[in-house]
Amino acid sequence: MEHKRLNSLIGLVLLLTLTFALSSPALAQESQPGSATPQPLLLYTQYPSRMIGLGETVTLPLKLRAGVAQVVSLEVQGLPEGWTATFRGGSQIVDAVYVDGVADASVDLRLETPSNAEPGKYELKVIGSSKREQTELIINLTIKEKLPPRLSLTTDGLPTKRGTPNSAVTFTLNLKNEGGEDLIAELSATQPENVQVTIQSGGQDVTELELAPNETKNLTVKATPLVRLEAGNYSFSVQAIAGDVSAQIDLTVEVVGQGRLSVSAPEGRLSAQAYAGQDNPLKIELTNSGTAPLRGIQLTSTTPSGWSITFDQAEIAEIPAGETVEVTAQVKPPEKAVAGDYVITINARPVDSQQESADFRITVRTSTLWGVAGIGLIALAVGAVGAAVVRFGRR
Amino acid sequence: MSTAALKPSAKISAQGETAHRSREGSPWTGMWAVILKEMADHLSSTRIFILNTLILLAAVGTVFAATQQISQTVSQDEFLYLRLLTTARQPLPAFVALLAFFIPLISIALTFDAVNGEFSRRTMSRILAQPIYRDALLMGKFLASLFTLALVCTAIWLLIFGLGILRLGVAPGTEEVGRALLFLLATIFYGGIWLALAMVFSVLFRQTATAALASIAVWLFFTVFWGMISGFLAQTLSPVQIGLPQEILAQASMEQTLSRLSPNTLYAESMVALLQPQVRSLGILLPTQLDGAILGSPLPLAQSILLIWPQMTGLIAGSILLFALAYVLFQRQEIRA
Repeated sequence: MEHKRLNSLIGLVLLLTLTFALSSPALAQESQPGSATPQPLLLYTQYPSRMIGLGETVTLPLKLRAGVAQVVSLEVQGLPEGWTATFRGGSQIVDAVYVDGVADASVDLRLETPSNAEPGKYELKVIGSSKREQTELIINLTIKEKLPPRLSLTTDGLPTKRGTPNSAVTFTLNLKNEGGEDLIAELSATQPENVQVTIQSGGQDVTELELAPNETKNLTVKATPLVRLEAGNYSFSVQAIAGDVSAQIDLTVEVVGQGRLSVSAPEGRLSAQAYAGQDNPLKIELTNSGTAPLRGIQLTSTTPSGWSITFDQAEIAEIPAGETVEVTAQVKPPEKAVAGDYVITINARPVDSQQESADFRITVRTSTLWGVAGIGLIALAVGAVGAAVVRFGRR
Repeated sequence: MSTAALKPSAKISAQGETAHRSREGSPWTGMWAVILKEMADHLSSTRIFILNTLILLAAVGTVFAATQQISQTVSQDEFLYLRLLTTARQPLPAFVALLAFFIPLISIALTFDAVNGEFSRRTMSRILAQPIYRDALLMGKFLASLFTLALVCTAIWLLIFGLGILRLGVAPGTEEVGRALLFLLATIFYGGIWLALAMVFSVLFRQTATAALASIAVWLFFTVFWGMISGFLAQTLSPVQIGLPQEILAQASMEQTLSRLSPNTLYAESMVALLQPQVRSLGILLPTQLDGAILGSPLPLAQSILLIWPQMTGLIAGSILLFALAYVLFQRQEIRA
């Protein structure tokens, strides 16, 4: 009994000495820079404990840190039934990560929870193991039956769209109630200068929308120019507010320059006179009052039947912005046209823009030839009287 | 007249003219004396007084009714004064409709006894005993009647415009005045045709009643029957055998051509083109000719004149030719009986 106590005492002393002897150089070594022991493999995430909704998909950004370059394979333990877990890195599904030992490697853990999962606490273990080391990370997820109210507003496409100076641009937004309660979201949008922003749902203008939990509604946001817009960016934000929660998205319409064609005549006179059966010159002015040049303008005309209109240049290669081009058209009413006013339409169509037209009122005049013939007839009648006087005169 | 034109011709001697063959002096010597005397006779005659009173009453009545009608209309009208002449208000017809009826009557009344009246009064030899040639006598009588008619028409024209200004309170535009003046001219020459026609009959027939009846008969023929006859003639001359559009068109234009032989048609067409400025054609119009036309827009006056120029020419030349016929007939007549 006594011998045994002594033995243990000696052992304790020995152990203490040994520990001391071993630890003191180790301590001395640690304080000495440059010759540290390699950092152990570390797997961490910023928010390892989360509260999620039913059926929600959670993405956890994981980071891996190691002192030595190595390949770490990843797995999840303790995954409840019906859940799926995937690791994603570089937009691919992965199950191993290479850690270079200097920088952190990141990988996303995507957890899809079934919509019928029972509320409660779940504990998952993410294990990262390499040939040298092993590490683990414990993740706590609590599924609550009801989530705190939350709204999200996202766009299907890009938040910046290109538009023309006078056409409306539409964005499609998704408003989602991510909370667990019914929400009535008030919708509003800031109005940039000279642009009217309207929010529509189901083809009607809306200012309020009711959303059930987890319900998504499509919104159409339409930015309509009120005037011809200058080129530039028109930014506005759409906001959905429901009580304390809100969601916002910034949208931008980028207006690019556009040519704008107008068809007119010198001094704006859209009327002219024309003699039947003759070519009558009609001057036409094509003006580009837009902000970009117009190209390949083709001239056509709509005329009453039997008329012909020829242009001295039927196609104009380019009209720079702010310039005017004068074209002469030869208007030829048919030989037997009845005097009076007629409408002809001159159409000009640039290659990449809408057709513009102008109506001209053409007053057709008939030839005075028959008038001369009439006078000749009267002269003939007077001549007949004269001849009768000469022939039958009695004095 | 050149002296060459006044040379005697062989044919005159063949007619048994025994007197001095060479014509001397102007054939118009004394014409103005005849004109003035005849006009004085016309204007003081009861016959013309009655007709003038009738036409005056018609003018005042129809125009008064037209002004009432116009002042009830609120829509703007560029040619208000032309509406004065053409607006009918039940039960009165439009003034122009009455005028087309009265003008031939007045004209016939003015000249149906121009020559034979002198014979029946046995005054012809007495007149020609004066230093007045036959040429001057006939021309004087015709012109005096024409001037009387012009005087009456102008007076009525002025009366209508005066009444219009008084009742409507709007000054007439130049275009309106121009059109109305041309309408006056057309009216006078329309009368001229009937004057010349009645004069032809007054030379032809020694009885004044016969001449008057013959003139009235011609007038009735053109007013009542010519429309039917031209329709019938068109059917005969240009029949529609299969029913092709060309055939129908040919028949319609044939009928129109035939109806234009009547001075009534010529006058009516001039009236329509002058008083309704939006009328752009008097013939048959195909739909293709109206393609793209702005209907209802008035024609410029010059274009309206061009439109009715053939009709106007027809009226003027017709008067002159009928007068020439009367002249030739009168010159060849034995007047010493």
